[in-house]
Amino acid sequence: MLPIDAAAHSSRWRRRHPVDKAVLGLGLTLLAISLPPWPGAALVLLTALVVLLGPAGVPWRRLWRAYRVPLGFCVTGALTLLVQVGGPGGFVSLAGDGPVRAGELLLRTSAASLGVLLFAFTTPMSDLLPRLVRAGVPAPVVDVALVTYRMSFLLLDSVRRVRDAQAARLGHTTRAAAWRSLGGLGATAFVRAFDRAVRLQAGLAGRGYDGTLRVLVPEARVSVRFTTASCVLLAALAVLTFVLERPLT
Amino acid sequence: MHIAEGFLPPAHAVAWGVASAPFVLHGVRSLTREVREHPESTLLLGASGAFTFVLSALKLPSVTGSCSHPTGTGLGAILFRPPVMAVLGTITLLFQALLLAHGGLTTLGANIFSMAIVGPWAGYAVYRLLRRYGVPLMVAVFCAAFVADLSTYCVTSVQLALAFPDPGSGFLGALGKFGSIFAVTQIPLAVSEGLLTVLVMRLLVQSSKGELTRLGVFLAEKESRSETEAVAR
Repeated sequence: MLPIDAAAHSSRWRRRHPVDKAVLGLGLTLLAISLPPWPGAALVLLTALVVLLGPAGVPWRRLWRAYRVPLGFCVTGALTLLVQVGGPGGFVSLAGDGPVRAGELLLRTSAASLGVLLFAFTTPMSDLLPRLVRAGVPAPVVDVALVTYRMSFLLLDSVRRVRDAQAARLGHTTRAAAWRSLGGLGATAFVRAFDRAVRLQAGLAGRGYDGTLRVLVPEARVSVRFTTASCVLLAALAVLTFVLERPLT
Repeated sequence: MHIAEGFLPPAHAVAWGVASAPFVLHGVRSLTREVREHPESTLLLGASGAFTFVLSALKLPSVTGSCSHPTGTGLGAILFRPPVMAVLGTITLLFQALLLAHGGLTTLGANIFSMAIVGPWAGYAVYRLLRRYGVPLMVAVFCAAFVADLSTYCVTSVQLALAFPDPGSGFLGALGKFGSIFAVTQIPLAVSEGLLTVLVMRLLVQSSKGELTRLGVFLAEKESRSETEAVAR
């Protein structure tokens, strides 16, 4: 299992309905991209961090491991805003408002990423996917997504084992051997995926498969109290941003 | 590399979502029709989605010595066709956003457009064109994977340049900046992905001819050949 999904399965908010967590987590993300970066995104970032490490109980080490991935892209992308091409300063020169724009972009992306991470770290995919049918996603698409999700872990595990076996047979010692091993790994993943699908199909056919995958979804109700509190928090953040914007700018 | 969460301004995020929607809806319709007619396709399509997801998690040694991940869009387009890849790519990007923190939900539309639409269509077009003119299979596969990978990152650069125009030279200057970071550096990686795709395809032709025929890869081959013969006649 992947670290974020494993954390979601053991999360304190595991039993909460995905809608509760979507209102809070994705609401914070929407606020982060729609409010002025200073002080709006900074407030959202702070709030998301407090909720993640506090009530949601996400271990900071796991959070950092997941958070540094989008941070890498943000920093690389923000660096380009520091320079400008053309103009009176020469072909390439430092942009006058570059640091401010880069800082604002970093704030916005960091805050938005934490909002999505709040949702991802508390909501397992197995709770979310079956409920997408009620949200209007066609059932066949949800079924394909469910099979993809469940098969991905098995396939990742197979790939890991094949890679270990290749390494044990000196398959990574030279550049040519590494390429051959990698090609073999990709082809093996394809063969195993299709072999597993065919065997799964045979098993399901023996159990009266009619084209619908029925899975048990843990019972959960949308908490009016939780969603109301989330909406109040989001509204308070928006109001606070507009109140503080002028004095802090 | 996908555009990270919150990187695009709201108007751009919505616009790319709207631009991607018709392609994804077309893919959803053809996938739904396929599953209704052949219920067993659910499992094969799920397996294809899992393969695409796992392929994007493989570490690819770059020509420059660094390491990256293949996009898998070229191979996916040849095996599963671009409309299905639009849906499988969307599912993969959603999983990557929520399970790996790669990409994001607000930038999903932009990432779908570059990685699940432009990449597969460009790669598939190159593949069909080259096969029609009798180019050997593995050369066509290499070119398809190379073009699919590079076009994905060129579109990403365009998306970023539109969102963050350069203060001195506008869109073109920004395109140069983002292109030099996200597209030019991708050329060795695109070559690597092309080589990997050829290796995978060569093994698949040897070991999984049945699956390739079921997916219609060899059927498409025959069609291309007969079209070329018709043109020659």
